[in-house]
Amino acid sequence: MTAPGHATFLDPALLSRIADLPLLARTVVDGFMHGLHRSARKGLSLDFAEHRQYQPGDDLRRIDWKAYARTDRFYVKEYDADTNAGVLFALDVTGSMDYGSGAVNKFAYARMLVAALAWLTQRQGDRVGIATFADKLVEMVPPSTRHLQMLFHVLGRAKPAGEGKLPLAIDRVADVASRPGIIIVVTDCYDEPNAIGRSVDTLRARGHDVLVFHLLDAAEEDFPFEAAAVFEDGESGLRLPLRPDELKERYQTMWRAHRAALEGRFAASGVDYIPLRTDEPLDRALYAYLDYRLARGRVR
Amino acid sequence: MGLGFLVPAFLAGLAALAIPLLIHLRDKNEETPTRFPSLMFLVRLPIRTSDRRKVTDWPLLLLRALAVALLVLAFSRPFVGRDANVAADRRVRAVVLLVDRSMSMGYEGTWAKALDSARAVLDGLAADDQVSLVLFDEEAEVAQRWTSDHGAVRAVLDAAKPVSRGTRFGAALRVARGALIGAPPGAPEMVIVTDLQRSGLTGVAGLELPAGLPLRVIGVEPTTRPNTFVRTVEARRVVDGTRVQLQVLARVTTRELKAPRTARLTLNLGGREVGTRTAALPISGDLPVVFDAIPAPVGAVSGLVTIAADELTADDTFHFALPADDALVVQLVAPDDLARDETHFLERALAIGRAPAVRIERRRPGTLDAAALDRSAMVLYWDVAPPSAGTAAAALDAYVTAGRGYVLYIGPRLGARRQSALAGAVAVTGIADRRIGGGAILGDIRDEHPLFAPFRGSQGALIAPRFYRYPRLEPAVGADILARFDDGAPAILERPLGEGRILIVGLGLDTREGDLPLQPAFLPLMRRLVLHTSGHESTPLWRVTGESWMPRAVRRDPVIVAPDGTLQRSTQGEATGIALTLALPGVYSAYEGRVDGTPRARVAVNVSAAESELTPADPRELLLGVGESADSTLQGVTAPTSLEIESRQRGWSLLLLAALLLLAVETILASRGWRGKARRATIVASERSPG
Repeated sequence: MTAPGHATFLDPALLSRIADLPLLARTVVDGFMHGLHRSARKGLSLDFAEHRQYQPGDDLRRIDWKAYARTDRFYVKEYDADTNAGVLFALDVTGSMDYGSGAVNKFAYARMLVAALAWLTQRQGDRVGIATFADKLVEMVPPSTRHLQMLFHVLGRAKPAGEGKLPLAIDRVADVASRPGIIIVVTDCYDEPNAIGRSVDTLRARGHDVLVFHLLDAAEEDFPFEAAAVFEDGESGLRLPLRPDELKERYQTMWRAHRAALEGRFAASGVDYIPLRTDEPLDRALYAYLDYRLARGRVR
Repeated sequence: MGLGFLVPAFLAGLAALAIPLLIHLRDKNEETPTRFPSLMFLVRLPIRTSDRRKVTDWPLLLLRALAVALLVLAFSRPFVGRDANVAADRRVRAVVLLVDRSMSMGYEGTWAKALDSARAVLDGLAADDQVSLVLFDEEAEVAQRWTSDHGAVRAVLDAAKPVSRGTRFGAALRVARGALIGAPPGAPEMVIVTDLQRSGLTGVAGLELPAGLPLRVIGVEPTTRPNTFVRTVEARRVVDGTRVQLQVLARVTTRELKAPRTARLTLNLGGREVGTRTAALPISGDLPVVFDAIPAPVGAVSGLVTIAADELTADDTFHFALPADDALVVQLVAPDDLARDETHFLERALAIGRAPAVRIERRRPGTLDAAALDRSAMVLYWDVAPPSAGTAAAALDAYVTAGRGYVLYIGPRLGARRQSALAGAVAVTGIADRRIGGGAILGDIRDEHPLFAPFRGSQGALIAPRFYRYPRLEPAVGADILARFDDGAPAILERPLGEGRILIVGLGLDTREGDLPLQPAFLPLMRRLVLHTSGHESTPLWRVTGESWMPRAVRRDPVIVAPDGTLQRSTQGEATGIALTLALPGVYSAYEGRVDGTPRARVAVNVSAAESELTPADPRELLLGVGESADSTLQGVTAPTSLEIESRQRGWSLLLLAALLLLAVETILASRGWRGKARRATIVASERSPG
């Protein structure tokens, strides 16, 4: 899945050393775009999408005169990215995000991901905004073409802590995101898949396109613990004495079932679900995002 | 052979054996738990907690338990020896038993309880334990010196009774400390049996007791403490028309009564009941009770106010001694040519005062005989020279020497001619005329002198009067100048003579010489002049136990009769009379030579009202402010025994060494992971997000 040519520019372990988020975002996107020139993906915002019948008020310059000559009807050419979409990043800042068994923890990865995607989005001329949430909304910056720096500030001062209620938080995002747009949820999905799905359905019902990045740590999947220990919940602080060697298999079974449930539920809701491990480069996320935009980028 | 422990209490530490087990079963990583994003799935899994409580490492557990057991045994100081030695090792106790016998211990049931408690202390002693008994009230005495004869101590206790005196724990602790210094070898301790009256704590602070001395307080205070007592009595003679009446007011105090009640108060005077009142007493508070006025007795008389008996009877009577209504007789010797109103201001000023009243007898020069002198408190020579030779002069000298005195007022007559050695104290050199310039004022006043006592702190009253003419006086050797005019000329001089005094007054006592008679200072100054010159002392209606009394009225061979009828005489050669500590409540009477007739002086004594306040203090308050001393004398009692104990220990150090060794082994084994089959996963520490 990774692109060897430019993977070093997108290695999260290296990127995590860049404290300046705009610089980080520019580095990621530039590195990524450099790779794209040699890839099959071409052009972003000037791709022709379809013809639409002229309506009073449309710019006369956009009338396709050739089509008029052929059909004797006025048609307007419509491109994929020639409308400004509102992209709202919903970032999970619960305590569970502050975990990492490798070089980068989930929250640092999420921050880099959101910064890069926001930079890319802004480059496309779209409006960007951000909402951080735990058990409720923590901060909210509505999408705007001038809100990129504000988004970086919000990202910079966000600190993961406390318990979260993902369905409630998504409901709250749905309440405050008044205009239909794209909502990119970056979370570790620690809640019941059905509850999350119902909340995502609400977003979809209000006309939003939703993309969910599920951040995973290697230890969450592999559960490599063996010695008896007291485990502390990253969100609630609950402590549980466990013998993980006895529980490992059952835990992994439950974890896989959870992943499968999430995948099925999001698919049912028409939501793109992208699991991301914190030890893989960011380019997969960027590819996924661009694919998504290519597929659904037009504002209807 | 037997096993003994010097400090067996430490064996309770064997309970600490549970600690290694608990540590073992408790998860060791609880302090540093493994963070995990969410236990959402793990909490759903069945956790067999019994696994966690299973002992997985028996050798390590036993090692730790053994180390703890060895530590406990080491601190218990075990030793092995013959049984006889074990018994002999018990230290002989040296107990100072202090028993409170103050008035409040006479409260109903308290004394019996105190005796029972003291006997219980004796019962708890071994046969060879030493006891010293100290009985205390306001003072303390060693009633029984150190003895192992506990029966003798019991006998002294049985004979003891509460006395009508106050409480002072300070005195008791000091005497007990002294007793401890002479204690036989053994473990010293102090036991106090008391009702813990708060008033007795005064004077405890600052006391030092031997460091580490066990002090046990056995409180025997009554659980309920209703009490009624007469706090004070006021008695005064009042003039009612032509009669002089005696008015007596008693202040009754009640504390913690169960309900308001009435009580009958009786007034006795000179052994005869002269009045009664019934008072409605509040539950707690003070109540003034005024008896009907009765004809005042002429001479000195002792009295008694009694209230109906209650649980503490000793404070139900209150003694007082009313001094004789002896007006001070002042012989005013005035010249023949005295103007009609010349002494008017003086006579009017002296007639105003009471307690004592002042009565003036006017005389012509040369008419003052020995009989008149004998009944006089002082003589005032008004601008006339006292006799300087002959029997009259000798009688006057004897009169002064015996403790009385006279005042010589030098007015315009005596000042008009030069006089030398007037009254043996002063020479007159002329008259100062200060009519021009507004007159003179007093400029230098010896305000510490008793003559000016009323003006201390307000000397302005004495420098207000103006003096227009005054004699210029030259003091003789031995004369003391008490006040000067502003030009430095002496205004008032004093010459002591024997026990008495002669005062020469140069400032004008008449309005023709100045305006002193019109000033506010005149009346108190004249009254002080009479009281000081006559050597008069005010007598209090009563004193409290523990005070000292010196009956000045009896100068030769005084004999004092105490309230319990015992006599006390002064020792031979004691020229200043007798000073007596008033130990008992009641009336002390002083006679001259032998007990006959009317006493020359008497004083009533009561126990301090604080002794009737029965609110107990907390036993810990008793030792507030008490320090610990490292008294070398007392260390001689304790140190050898301590060393002896040290030397008799066997093996405690070895046990301690073994315990430390085991702990070291435990540390090695635990840190080497010998006990663990479990492997630890390598988890890189969570990285905190930047910023």
